[in-house]
Amino acid sequence: MKLTGKEARKLLFDPIVENNPIALQILGICSALAVTVKMDVTLVMCAALTTVVAFSNFFVSIIRHYIPDNIRIIVQMTIISSLVIIVDEVLKAYVYEISKQLSVFVGLIITNCIVMGRAEAYAMKNPPIRSFLDGLGNGFGYSFILIVVAFIREVFGAGEFFGIPVMPSWYPVNNFLLLPPSSFIIIGLMIWAIRTYSTSQVEENDNPLKAHTFKPLTVKKEAVDG
Amino acid sequence: MRNLIIPLLVCIACAVVVSITAVTVRSEQIANVENEKKNKIISAAGIEFTEDEVENEFKKITTLYVDFRSNEFVSVDEKYDHLKAVLKSDLSEIVPKDKDIAILKRRENVGPIYVWVDENKEVERVVLPIRGYGLWGTLYGYLSLGSDLNSVNGIEFYDHKETPGLGGEVENDGWKAIWKGKLIYNQNGGVELRVVKGAAKDEYQIDGLSGATLTSNGVSNMINYWLGDEAYGPALKKIKEHVKNS
Repeated sequence: MKLTGKEARKLLFDPIVENNPIALQILGICSALAVTVKMDVTLVMCAALTTVVAFSNFFVSIIRHYIPDNIRIIVQMTIISSLVIIVDEVLKAYVYEISKQLSVFVGLIITNCIVMGRAEAYAMKNPPIRSFLDGLGNGFGYSFILIVVAFIREVFGAGEFFGIPVMPSWYPVNNFLLLPPSSFIIIGLMIWAIRTYSTSQVEENDNPLKAHTFKPLTVKKEAVDG
Repeated sequence: MRNLIIPLLVCIACAVVVSITAVTVRSEQIANVENEKKNKIISAAGIEFTEDEVENEFKKITTLYVDFRSNEFVSVDEKYDHLKAVLKSDLSEIVPKDKDIAILKRRENVGPIYVWVDENKEVERVVLPIRGYGLWGTLYGYLSLGSDLNSVNGIEFYDHKETPGLGGEVENDGWKAIWKGKLIYNQNGGVELRVVKGAAKDEYQIDGLSGATLTSNGVSNMINYWLGDEAYGPALKKIKEHVKNS
């Protein structure tokens, strides 16, 4: 199985729109809500997550034939958390201000479902280079959503872009966009837009609302007597 | 067997890589923390500065050390760190329960005062380190007083674990700004300044942080403790004289 250019492109770019980890798989929402207030913070977070998911995929895939099946999750977690600690240490050393703003969210990459999900679903079954590309692709997919959300929140919320005022002076600061719930709404709208564009992503309605079926309880006479 | 050996090898490999990284970037991290403390000390003092001026501005500061047991100014080793001293039993002591309003448990015996002295040997402004328990953990910060050693110049927190958006608002610039000009001591020399619920009514009160009563109380308590008789209070009363004679 030689990796062709077409396959590589598919691995890298499919997760951006066609199979986005946030928009289709609805994973990794937590940090998407929390770290999208400012562009610079968001970019560092995206770089951190992409690095972790790509390398965790890579290393898990290298040892995938040796990982005992019954303890595979804990072995994956060991690799993932080591990578996260390394990323966190490096951020603290070289981008201290931003790492302070990211606070716990770098550490929380360990529990980010995208990282675990890709290790378990892809890297355990595929060779290292493919897994690495898959990790990068999913990191890009995550980054795509976060950057769009952060752009909207910073420009329309604070009226700034990378901390530089861009809105005319009459534009009032929109505090709602600076609060976490706003990214929930923006992500929801993005999912709607993506599914309108790519209708294959629309899910079947598993639990359609049914007509009202309530029947009043009839008390049996025996029961009352008994 | 495989169940044991593979995890063991993974753990060893991960531990080695993590340790190497941590040791490699250690010095940069320490420099960052030091730099941030300097930054906060200077901005607590209400001085406008740019990133490049930090070192220069910091050189203007005279650091005095106070022994809280005798309330005398003492000299200490150059590497003395009052927060590390708290961890050593010979450099710190247990705060008696009834006096431990800021919930420190242990307090260092010697603490620093950062003083700006003008050319006439008058105290221009001072910065004191303060800390105390909020809701989730200890808040660490600096409080600055003006030349009268009573009015607040500014306040900064550099480390805390309060809820973002509620107690975390201790970092809010708007809230920090209302501290300027407030008074600490009343006519009798007692610490009067406190963070109140709702809006402040006089110069001894600071607007409370809404949704963060316990953090607000924590801030009140730490001001009360560190500026009171148990800590910097007595030393502040004679610092002017000390600077004049030095």
